[in-house]
Amino acid sequence: MKALEVTQATKRFGGLVAVNDVSLSVNQGEIFSVIGPNGAGKTTFFNLLTGIYPPDEGRILLFGKDVTGLPPDRIAKEGVGRTFQNIRLFGAMTVLENLLVGMHIHIHVPYFHAVFRTPLARREEKRAEEEAKRLLEYVSLLHRKDELAKNLPYGEQRKLEIARALALKPRLLLLDEPAAGMNPKETEELQAFIQKLRDELGITIVLIEHDMRLVMRISDRIAVLEYGSKIAEGSPEEVRTNPRVIEAYLGKGAAGGAA
Amino acid sequence: MLEQILALLPQVIFDGFILGFVYAMVALGYTMVYGVLELINFAHSEIFMIGAVVGVEVFRYLAPQVESGFLLLLLALILGGVVAGITAILVERFAYRPLRARGTTNRLVPLITAIGVSFILQDLVRLIEGLWHNEFFLRMRTVEDLEGSVSLFGGAIFAQTKSFILMGVSILMLVGLTYLVNRTKLGVAIRAVAQDLHTASLMGIDPDRIISRTFLIGGSLGGVAGVLFALQYTTITPYVGFLPGIKAFTAAVLGGIGNIPGAMLGGLVLGQLENFFGTYLPILTNGNFGTEYKDVVAFLILIFILLVRPQGLLGQVVKEKV
Repeated sequence: MKALEVTQATKRFGGLVAVNDVSLSVNQGEIFSVIGPNGAGKTTFFNLLTGIYPPDEGRILLFGKDVTGLPPDRIAKEGVGRTFQNIRLFGAMTVLENLLVGMHIHIHVPYFHAVFRTPLARREEKRAEEEAKRLLEYVSLLHRKDELAKNLPYGEQRKLEIARALALKPRLLLLDEPAAGMNPKETEELQAFIQKLRDELGITIVLIEHDMRLVMRISDRIAVLEYGSKIAEGSPEEVRTNPRVIEAYLGKGAAGGAA
Repeated sequence: MLEQILALLPQVIFDGFILGFVYAMVALGYTMVYGVLELINFAHSEIFMIGAVVGVEVFRYLAPQVESGFLLLLLALILGGVVAGITAILVERFAYRPLRARGTTNRLVPLITAIGVSFILQDLVRLIEGLWHNEFFLRMRTVEDLEGSVSLFGGAIFAQTKSFILMGVSILMLVGLTYLVNRTKLGVAIRAVAQDLHTASLMGIDPDRIISRTFLIGGSLGGVAGVLFALQYTTITPYVGFLPGIKAFTAAVLGGIGNIPGAMLGGLVLGQLENFFGTYLPILTNGNFGTEYKDVVAFLILIFILLVRPQGLLGQVVKEKV
């Protein structure tokens, strides 16, 4: 069973075909990158996967289950976590509360208990809080737990966004340009962190990324989009040497540097 | 003149709180719905009115059976809150949700819908009351337990039992709501949806469900406020929601629309202003301006406050998302 299987997905906005007949599949436990020039439809592709909009054509299977056309909250419940190119934290909430939002589907308080604030309800919410704190420790943000998310420095906001996605206990994690704005050292830490997520937690990871060094080092396989269409797919080596990719995306200088 | 003003002041402040707490509870319904939907739900005035009417009916039918006035009031509060809450859910489900489902982006469409719902609810209540009792001009039955009165501070404040109950219940509801919003799973989800509905849905939160709960909570608060209002001011018609509703909405804007503590503060401030000028205008102007000008002066002050702080007392300046 594949973690993700997309068959001939198409999404149009008026006359623009943002995603054009894209098919690809991601194996469980894989780190898979989606690359392509700006405007190639990468984020739109993520939006299709997470149900922000339904595809006009095509099917999307998550762990063998057809989720085509389901709303975002239902897809999230299937175990899909995601981060955003432009960080989208709940800025007016604390770091801890951001994680509690992420844990929403894993906090179970039956109606009766919720209304009458029974010990069970309190225990359950306490348990969630403890779990959120453990997760914050995992990403070394525990000391920030009571600060408003918007007051965190950029790098920590990125981390918090990943932690929030992890709070969902995803089977599939979609990272939209996680290394954006990071220096080489931070990028290296990020790479180790992503690999740790895969190795320790067994999470399948799909990322959109512009940092080619990171992409080449971390990916098991790569798909390349251009003008909404998939123009190549394969191992980093295959993609790096694919003439169409070099022409469309890497350009002469970058191709020389990568060789 | 100063002596006269000071002598009345304790009573004026006390009565201002009575009015202010009613506004605060109704304002919460406006502000919470605005928080999640950016919709000014004008039908909320009618949710408040329905609570008041339910209160009157409970007193009418159960007063002979229920001996304790306190128990009677408790029943009225529960029933008023439940009926108003359910009505609010139904309004959301059948009037606003279909518009969302069609992806209506024009903000005026749900606003006009809200005004339409408002008229429908007014006339629906008028119809029901008309068929039921042959009149829709209702009077809250007085119950002895609740009408008792005391003098406080050597006669500076004359207060009725029901006034204390009104304040006590209001404070309980406001504290309860604050706890709910800040400390519970539902509260966290409501705030998440209010801040960013799309991102919240990507966390597995079903926005429709949370929006529905928000209407339930806001509606129940409005209903409870309606029952307390009926108890305090006794004359109720299907149109009684309009003025308190529009003032509560003003209070929500004054506090910073979408901001929960702001709605409470805004309600209390507006209640105090209105009551203050209601009492003192004739004294301050030597009788040239009567009590009936209280709203004019209170709203002039509001306009001034909003000129200085357009985002409201506790509201934050919202940066446009790019």
